[in-house]
Amino acid sequence: MSREAIGGSVWTRRGLAAMGVFGLVFLTVPLVIVIPMSFSSARALTFPPPSLSLRWYETFFGDPRWMEAMWTSTFVAAISSLAALVLGGLAAYGLRRGTFKGRDWAEGNFMAPLIVPTIIVAIALYLALAKVGLLGSLLGLVVAHTLLNVPLVMMVLGVAIREFDQRIEQVAWSLGASWSYAMRKVVLPNLAPSVFAAWIFAFIGSFDEVIVTSFIAGKYETVPKKMFNELVLEVNPTITAVATLLIAFTVLALAAVAFVLGRAGKLKETVV
Amino acid sequence: MTRSSGFSFIAPLLVLMVVAFNAPIVYMLGLAFWEKGRGFTLEHYEGLAEAPVYLRVLGNTMRIALIATLANIVIGYPLAHWMRGLGSRGRMIAIALVVLPFWVSILVRTYAWIVVLGNGGIVNRALQWSGLTDAPVSFLYNELGVTIGMANVLLPFLVLPLFAAMIRIDDRLLQAAASLGAPPRTIFWKVYFPLTLPALAAGALLVFILCLGFYVTPAILGGGRVPMISNLLDTLINQIPRWEQASAISTILLIVTLLIFAAYRRLDRKASA
Repeated sequence: MSREAIGGSVWTRRGLAAMGVFGLVFLTVPLVIVIPMSFSSARALTFPPPSLSLRWYETFFGDPRWMEAMWTSTFVAAISSLAALVLGGLAAYGLRRGTFKGRDWAEGNFMAPLIVPTIIVAIALYLALAKVGLLGSLLGLVVAHTLLNVPLVMMVLGVAIREFDQRIEQVAWSLGASWSYAMRKVVLPNLAPSVFAAWIFAFIGSFDEVIVTSFIAGKYETVPKKMFNELVLEVNPTITAVATLLIAFTVLALAAVAFVLGRAGKLKETVV
Repeated sequence: MTRSSGFSFIAPLLVLMVVAFNAPIVYMLGLAFWEKGRGFTLEHYEGLAEAPVYLRVLGNTMRIALIATLANIVIGYPLAHWMRGLGSRGRMIAIALVVLPFWVSILVRTYAWIVVLGNGGIVNRALQWSGLTDAPVSFLYNELGVTIGMANVLLPFLVLPLFAAMIRIDDRLLQAAASLGAPPRTIFWKVYFPLTLPALAAGALLVFILCLGFYVTPAILGGGRVPMISNLLDTLINQIPRWEQASAISTILLIVTLLIFAAYRRLDRKASA
């Protein structure tokens, strides 16, 4: 009904549809174009590719520096996403269920890395890590990635915990379950789909992080850092293959999240 | 006990945040206002006001942020409005197409514009084929490219909350206006648009804040010719080490960001109320 109420004439509606489609095209076309370009045989980025080949993928997988960057990225993302999941998950639970004073303040502080420009976090960490001699250390990198991804975890799990009926936990306690038993057997199984989503988001967040990493990683190369450094210098078609792999990785990860949340009937709340 | 107050749940994260986030930022603020052996000083700020290069970069940043935000509104509002009118299946597809780019690495999305807008890219090919231009148009390594790239990267930040606010608007409100004889144009401007305005303003402020601190896109699509605040900060830290000056600029950027964010929070509460 509303479509008719404010849609106006056929032309207005067609105009709106054209603008909407334009918006979606503007968002997605660059990503769609990158994929065929990564199979180009040419060095120049000419569209359409003159002929197809896998040479840029061979260059990528055959380069030990890219492989090492891939390993570092995976390692840092694995550790920091788990740390963010555990610390952020516990904190989200404490903030939703707790009654202590200063909860708003604490939550604001935990969410701050999302609002404070990343370049400022990068500079502050650079200066502080240089001061304590941890600049260019894996520890510094993992800790930085952890705190950058805590807000994502807290957003996803905060909603899930708020929607999980607290009385179910209280029943478990009243039946004599210890706190940790109730957590393992009642709370976590119910939150499992959201926990999975939060973990994937934190993993992607860490795997793609470029600004803080470029400032504090020192001699360590991650995939985004290496990609960024190469892009600033010159456009190398190997990047097109890396970009395609990253798009494929993101699509698969999000599809897994959508599948798990969809099966639990929680897709809507988490997305919008 | 833990169950009653819950503080122990947040304690581990709180410790990490204080040590690895709050303390470094306070340390940075300290550097901006401190001179060895002399204590508190505003000297680093005086240096900023005197050098025209800083003001030029600041002007650049503000202009690009403003244009990118306006582009976001012009593209994002019709998109969100159109999505509201789609059927549930169409909506899911549209949401997926907005959410997916949001999660793809910003480097990939920025790089993609080099592929699309370059001299041999699809846009220039289309322009030349259609006869609109003879020579390729240079979109890259200038302000235009940076603005296009930033508008693209930030569009989901505007569209998603705006769409969420739009689907909360009760259809019956619009039907009531229609049944009272209001033409569609009047319903849109007098009923629908005012209801979406807080969400639009909140989204626009969020996009503007994110623009101010943008680093990757200007560095790549600007090719070093379109410096924004973040790129200047990079230079002051990594190339000509002037840490105090970098700290002073960061402090200003932080304060401006937090002020705009406070305005955003007020609007956002209004939008979701």
